[in-house]
Amino acid sequence: MVPTTSYLALSGILFALGMIGVLTRRTAIMVFLSVELMLNAANLALVAFARSWGDPTGQTAVFIVMTLAAAEVAIGLAIIVAIFRKRETTNVDDLAALKG
Amino acid sequence: MMLAFILLGALAIVGGVITIAARNAVHASLGLVGTLLCVAGLFATLNASFLAATQVIVYAGAVMVLFLFVIMLLNANQPVTSPDPVPYVRELAGIGGTLLAGAFVVLAFTYRDPRPLAESAEALRGGTAMVMGETLLTRFLLPFEAVSVLLLVAIVGSVALVQRPAAQPDGVPDELEEPLVTAREERVAAPRGAAPALMQAAQDGEVRA
Repeated sequence: MVPTTSYLALSGILFALGMIGVLTRRTAIMVFLSVELMLNAANLALVAFARSWGDPTGQTAVFIVMTLAAAEVAIGLAIIVAIFRKRETTNVDDLAALKG
Repeated sequence: MMLAFILLGALAIVGGVITIAARNAVHASLGLVGTLLCVAGLFATLNASFLAATQVIVYAGAVMVLFLFVIMLLNANQPVTSPDPVPYVRELAGIGGTLLAGAFVVLAFTYRDPRPLAESAEALRGGTAMVMGETLLTRFLLPFEAVSVLLLVAIVGSVALVQRPAAQPDGVPDELEEPLVTAREERVAAPRGAAPALMQAAQDGEVRA
């Protein structure tokens, strides 16, 4: 049986990859994709902890996180489409009207 | 078991690297699909069969199709080539990400299981829909209901957000704004190839009216 620590390490690596993506990508959609990667890394850690404690509560929390992520994607992509219609760009550098 | 973990984990990391490094947005999202499928496999190895199925259906299916739709709709698969406003952001993010990953790995190896793994894995009863449903409708009843309301709000909100602005009402009903005579002439002059019976019925209706 694979130890919990291996799963946690993998989850940490995936989370860090997602963070690098959020910091370096410049299109709003790509930033979103990286956020999805981070959410999945967190889900993996939760499921690993659920097995470690033998408690299905962790898995249920992952289920709710998945639902939240689906809602977040629907709203986020709708906002990106609305911004694109108005500004003709999804580059986050150009969308700095609220800077400062 | 260990072999499955190593294969799935390596593929998940490769997919993650493709996601954050691919120039083309479609390639990046396909890399993320690979990662999501590998994570689903890892869920299956962690006695979470229901979550593995949900991951494939909801994430790799619905969410990624939505992403691909929007990428193609906005034609966003060209890379941004203008100079980055933050100097050395790639290098800094790489260093920061490596440090974060290292910290997580070190932290992960300090974790000790509270009881033997075989015993706690047995207590999960495979993580089937039955086990999940029991927890979801007892201890998680309030979050469950809240999430259902949230999903409704998300549906309504996304429809409202992408709706094009409606024409300003000017007090005149739409059917009266159309020049009536021209419309009728066009209808009579139209060739009767496509649906003659329908056309005839429409004209009969006009005559009767």
